[in-house]
Amino acid sequence: MSATAASRRRRSFAAVLRRYGWSYIFVLPTFSLFVVFTLLPVVQGLVLSLQNARVTGGEFIGLANFETLAADPVFIQAVGNTILYATVVVAAQITLALVVASLIQPLGPRAHVFYRALFYLPLVNSAILVAMVWRWIFNANPYGLANTALGTVGLGPYLWIGSSDQALIAVILSAVLTIPGGGVVLYSAAMGSLPRELYEAADLDGASWFSKWRHITVPLLRPTTLYLVVIYTILAFQLFERVYIMTNGGGPNNATITIVQLIYSTAFQFGRYGLASAMAVVLFGMALVVAVVQFRSLRSDVEY
Amino acid sequence: MTGGGVMNRRRFLEALAAVGVVVACGPTATPSPSPSSAGVSPAPKPVSIEWWRRNYAAGTQSAETITSDAAVKAYKDRAANVTIAIQGGPFGAETDQKFDIAILQQHAGPDVFHTTGGDVLKYAAAGQLSQPTLTDAERNDFNPSALKATTYKGTVVAYPLWIVPWFEYINLDLFKEAGVTPPANGNWTYDEFLAAAKKLTFKRADGKQIYGFAHANDEFAFMLIDGGRPYDTSIKTWTFNSADAVSGLEKWVALAQQKVMPPDFLTLNPNDSQARFIAGEVAILQRPSAMINVLNADAKWKFGTNWDIANFPKAKGDQTAWGGVGFIAVREQSDADKKAAAHAFAKYLTGPDIGPDLKKQTPPVEYWLAPAGRKSAAGIYGDYHPAKAKVATMGAFTYVLPNVSTWSEIDQKYLRPARDAALEGKKTPKQALDEVAPQAQKLLDEANK
Repeated sequence: MSATAASRRRRSFAAVLRRYGWSYIFVLPTFSLFVVFTLLPVVQGLVLSLQNARVTGGEFIGLANFETLAADPVFIQAVGNTILYATVVVAAQITLALVVASLIQPLGPRAHVFYRALFYLPLVNSAILVAMVWRWIFNANPYGLANTALGTVGLGPYLWIGSSDQALIAVILSAVLTIPGGGVVLYSAAMGSLPRELYEAADLDGASWFSKWRHITVPLLRPTTLYLVVIYTILAFQLFERVYIMTNGGGPNNATITIVQLIYSTAFQFGRYGLASAMAVVLFGMALVVAVVQFRSLRSDVEY
Repeated sequence: MTGGGVMNRRRFLEALAAVGVVVACGPTATPSPSPSSAGVSPAPKPVSIEWWRRNYAAGTQSAETITSDAAVKAYKDRAANVTIAIQGGPFGAETDQKFDIAILQQHAGPDVFHTTGGDVLKYAAAGQLSQPTLTDAERNDFNPSALKATTYKGTVVAYPLWIVPWFEYINLDLFKEAGVTPPANGNWTYDEFLAAAKKLTFKRADGKQIYGFAHANDEFAFMLIDGGRPYDTSIKTWTFNSADAVSGLEKWVALAQQKVMPPDFLTLNPNDSQARFIAGEVAILQRPSAMINVLNADAKWKFGTNWDIANFPKAKGDQTAWGGVGFIAVREQSDADKKAAAHAFAKYLTGPDIGPDLKKQTPPVEYWLAPAGRKSAAGIYGDYHPAKAKVATMGAFTYVLPNVSTWSEIDQKYLRPARDAALEGKKTPKQALDEVAPQAQKLLDEANK
């Protein structure tokens, strides 16, 4: 019986291969590029994280790099700063994107196009240039834009990026105060495809605008929210250029040091590729755990 | 065995030919052979070498490109058989990695190259540097600090090229406005400096704030002012938490407490600090010699009228100004002709002849980007500008950090944050420096393995 079953399975596999085999040929180029430029570097990163690798080579040292990281106060500070930044910035950006998309939703199609373009276009700017502008905004001198603005209402001047107490706040503010164009566009598109009947039913029940938003729009947008939360969290974990430019790569007293900033220094300035790879593995683990938690908590069975 | 003997003889002859090239092309005490005298000896064997130079980009107007092209052109007149190809790359981690991969991994790449700081030790430790042969006269001619910085396990492994002395640029207009007399002959004590900086910190009637002093965030000069040094003379023990280093940091902290520096002094990068000085917002700016060219390029800044140069303020220590040092190195390789030609060219690049050679070109090219690497080369640097003549004598004031391969990690990861904590008043200087010491010692031990 079992021989017959195995033979049937083989025949079935051969039939599938005969029928669909040609399609794998089309996938092969992209798959090869994925293997060479994504999969292999990731595997190599994992291997390097278990070595004391420097440019001249390295030896297998097991988990010693991870033990070093666990005892390194600078790395622990970088992890703390990264988590704080990601938590505040992701929450703020999701909220802001949802609110802005909701505000432009009742407008006409032309206004939609205009506002989506308006909010999205800044994203094509160089991140370095944007960071330089923020550096000027949060300059510690009285002529920094933030200090000038606050000075008109009798506040400040504050040290902002010139102080270890305020530098991370300034970096977080620079992200929070930037309207997330990608999120606005995605929410706006998702809102456009929500079923109108639910709103009409709510209208018949006399629901207010806020009640409809709170009880219909927001729950139905959960799949989009999940996608944005995961993507924004990963992007926030990868924070680098803003810190590098605004605070000269770590700020006063390492106040703004982040994991990616430390990976960069450790690999390319200190030449410790193994240790830097271990940091990258920790970051990968963090992103994976957070994504799984987010998927589990925000997963939605709502269909429309 | 016989084959081995033939090879040895060939090697010997090759080495002999290489020595011939060095002697023929060498820019040392003996005058270079004139074209007519070169004609009587057999034509030297053609050799092609590769020179790797950071910030060289063919066809651009960067100082490194102009001086490198001019150097190759001038050297061709002295050694017509040597062809030199220059390869560039921007300053930064990307180019550093290119050097590391070529030299350390592939044992290939440049025959002669510029290098700085801990890289010299790194390449020497990997056995990738061919040692220069320096005469006693040459050794005495080089700045001792620079020579020490290029010494690995008792052997000089590269040719010192330059030392960048840090000193104080002073805005004479602001000194006049605040009624402060500039230091006589550029010399002042720390107390005189602090008093001047305090007077020079004032707000104009129009509300513009002037600060007495500024520096970029990439230095530790004040920690040397009372004789504090990062390591002991054997470079085995971390000493930057000694009483002298602590009192140096206390003097630095005093500047922050007296608020004579701009409020963002902890994040002022070199370009920012220069821009503040040029904008007339800072009266005294601590920067290296390269800023002379920046001020000279600006018509409204006239040396002696609007600006001058002063020494680093003096306290208990002798060498007080932090300085960088650069080297020309020759890569170890089996091709004796290339190696000999590379050494001869490296000697030329770091010797006294290149400055005058480049000055003779049309238009004249200024070779020495920074002075004080070598006594015999200081004169030509001073010829270019009175400010340069003044700073050419300041090399003795400069402390050159001995090369330690883990320095950048000690510096960026531990020492700068500790310095910042002290300057912000979050920790006392002693507390901040004591906390750093164990980590720094660990990294120093690692470098000495």
